[in-house]
Amino acid sequence: MSYIEVKNLTKYYGKLKALDNVSLSIPKGRIIGLLGKNGAGKSTLMRCLLGFLKHTGEIEILGETVKSHKESIHNHIAFIPDVSCLDNRLTVQQTIDYVSSLNPSWNAEKSQRLLANSDLPMNQKVANLSKGMKTKLYLLITLSLDVKILLLDEPTLGLDIVFRKEFFNTILGEFFNETKTIIISTHQVEEVEQILQDIIFIDEGKKILHGDIGELKQKNSVFTLPSESIEELEKFKPNIINRTLGRVSAILGNDIQIEGAEISRPSLSDLFIEKVGGSNA
Amino acid sequence: MHKFKTLIIKDLWIYKKSLLIPFWITAGFYILIILSFGVAYFKGDLNFNMLDIQEASPLSAVNYIVNFAIVWFPGLMSLIFTVMLTQGALNEDVRKNCELFHRSQPVSVWYRTGSKYLTGIVGNWVVLLIIALFNFIVINIILALFHQCVFSTAFAGLVQSYISFIKTGLIIGSITFFLSVVFKDKAFLQGFAVLLAVQILFLILNTLLNWKLPLPLSYLVKLLKTTSIEEFEVDASIEEISNFISRNWNAILFNWKTLVQLVFSGVLFAGATLIYKSKEIK
Repeated sequence: MSYIEVKNLTKYYGKLKALDNVSLSIPKGRIIGLLGKNGAGKSTLMRCLLGFLKHTGEIEILGETVKSHKESIHNHIAFIPDVSCLDNRLTVQQTIDYVSSLNPSWNAEKSQRLLANSDLPMNQKVANLSKGMKTKLYLLITLSLDVKILLLDEPTLGLDIVFRKEFFNTILGEFFNETKTIIISTHQVEEVEQILQDIIFIDEGKKILHGDIGELKQKNSVFTLPSESIEELEKFKPNIINRTLGRVSAILGNDIQIEGAEISRPSLSDLFIEKVGGSNA
Repeated sequence: MHKFKTLIIKDLWIYKKSLLIPFWITAGFYILIILSFGVAYFKGDLNFNMLDIQEASPLSAVNYIVNFAIVWFPGLMSLIFTVMLTQGALNEDVRKNCELFHRSQPVSVWYRTGSKYLTGIVGNWVVLLIIALFNFIVINIILALFHQCVFSTAFAGLVQSYISFIKTGLIIGSITFFLSVVFKDKAFLQGFAVLLAVQILFLILNTLLNWKLPLPLSYLVKLLKTTSIEEFEVDASIEEISNFISRNWNAILFNWKTLVQLVFSGVLFAGATLIYKSKEIK
């Protein structure tokens, strides 16, 4: 059974088509990367999944249809948005008490363990916390919930590299198992590349690609040649040819053979640029 | 109900400071009076003759009027704070960028709006009740010492005045609560400006075209007007006072208008919740 089923999802902001007929099927036990340029529709897709935005098409989360905001959906999904949206008027303790009282899936034991390992000032107002501290608090709250789906929308935006690493390690160590699914939308592709299993590329509201990262990498290779041999690459009509330091490279299928070409495994950003184009991944 | 209780507690944490302000103002008022009396006493300016008061014929009416009046000042404060709290009820979380956080919790929208409605309106009723009871104790001790305290009359004055104010608070609070879902900021002022504009437009149309369009502000004033003590005579006997209090119960509480006021408030709450529920969360 799929955890998330999306059929022909379309969303307009006025005349702007933010999502264009997107269909997806996301099973349990997967870590999925949602990649796209700025304004590609990643946040809109996540907010539609949560029932926050009006849309056309069908969304089913754990068999339950999502048309608009539904209380029951949040019993199964936790969400960390791109900007800190914690309530600055509450203290850290009040925030934890509030969330724990409202969520039947709250795991008090786990929360205590995470709290013991954190340096969160419990009586401090959230407004007085640094961005890193706010993210830690959000993470603590989210990881203390025994939910099946976790949506992360650029959760580490504006945080330093050490914290970003720690963030994703904690998610993997404390949250993920074969019964849970995580969807991560991020710009820092390199940092999450190692933990992702599936990838969804989205551009101008359209789903460009959805697949297993391992398979994608196996099916494609980066072919690099000296600049003067560019015709060798052009013969295969790749989407993009990169030119750097007197060399040209392109991503092509593994079944292709080019004499004298250096062949290497493509990174996620290579695949993204090849499929979507541009440099704003 | 457990979730609703949690929401109420959360809203009380957030609005605690605003709800406590009337207590501080009242405390300041009492301190000012004590200081004024103290200064006057030490300067020798405090020269009223207590015998004049004690020898005056005891008037039961005084008990009613004084206790009716002691609710006015905290009552007006309560109305102002009701407007302040309810006008941000359904838009403040958006302005404070925490709407996503609160709406991501598994809790019914009706619970969320209900909690905000109760904190903004009933919260101020409770504050008003505490201050009114404190004033009641102080004033009636003074009355008992220098004049005469008829507890039943005094308490009836207090309760009737209190009910008048909480009914007004309910209607004004419900209107501003509804406006808070329509306007993003300064809901009361913006809503009032719109109503005023409609009122003026309808007045002009009624005058020029001889139409009979209903005037929204006039209707609201009519709806808010609960009772008056115009018929009251200061030198009325205890029996007359007692009859007046009975009549006043009907004027204040037990009438069709109260039912209309309750339905009106309920409709505004339900309408605000339905609009709030249908709005996108960005």
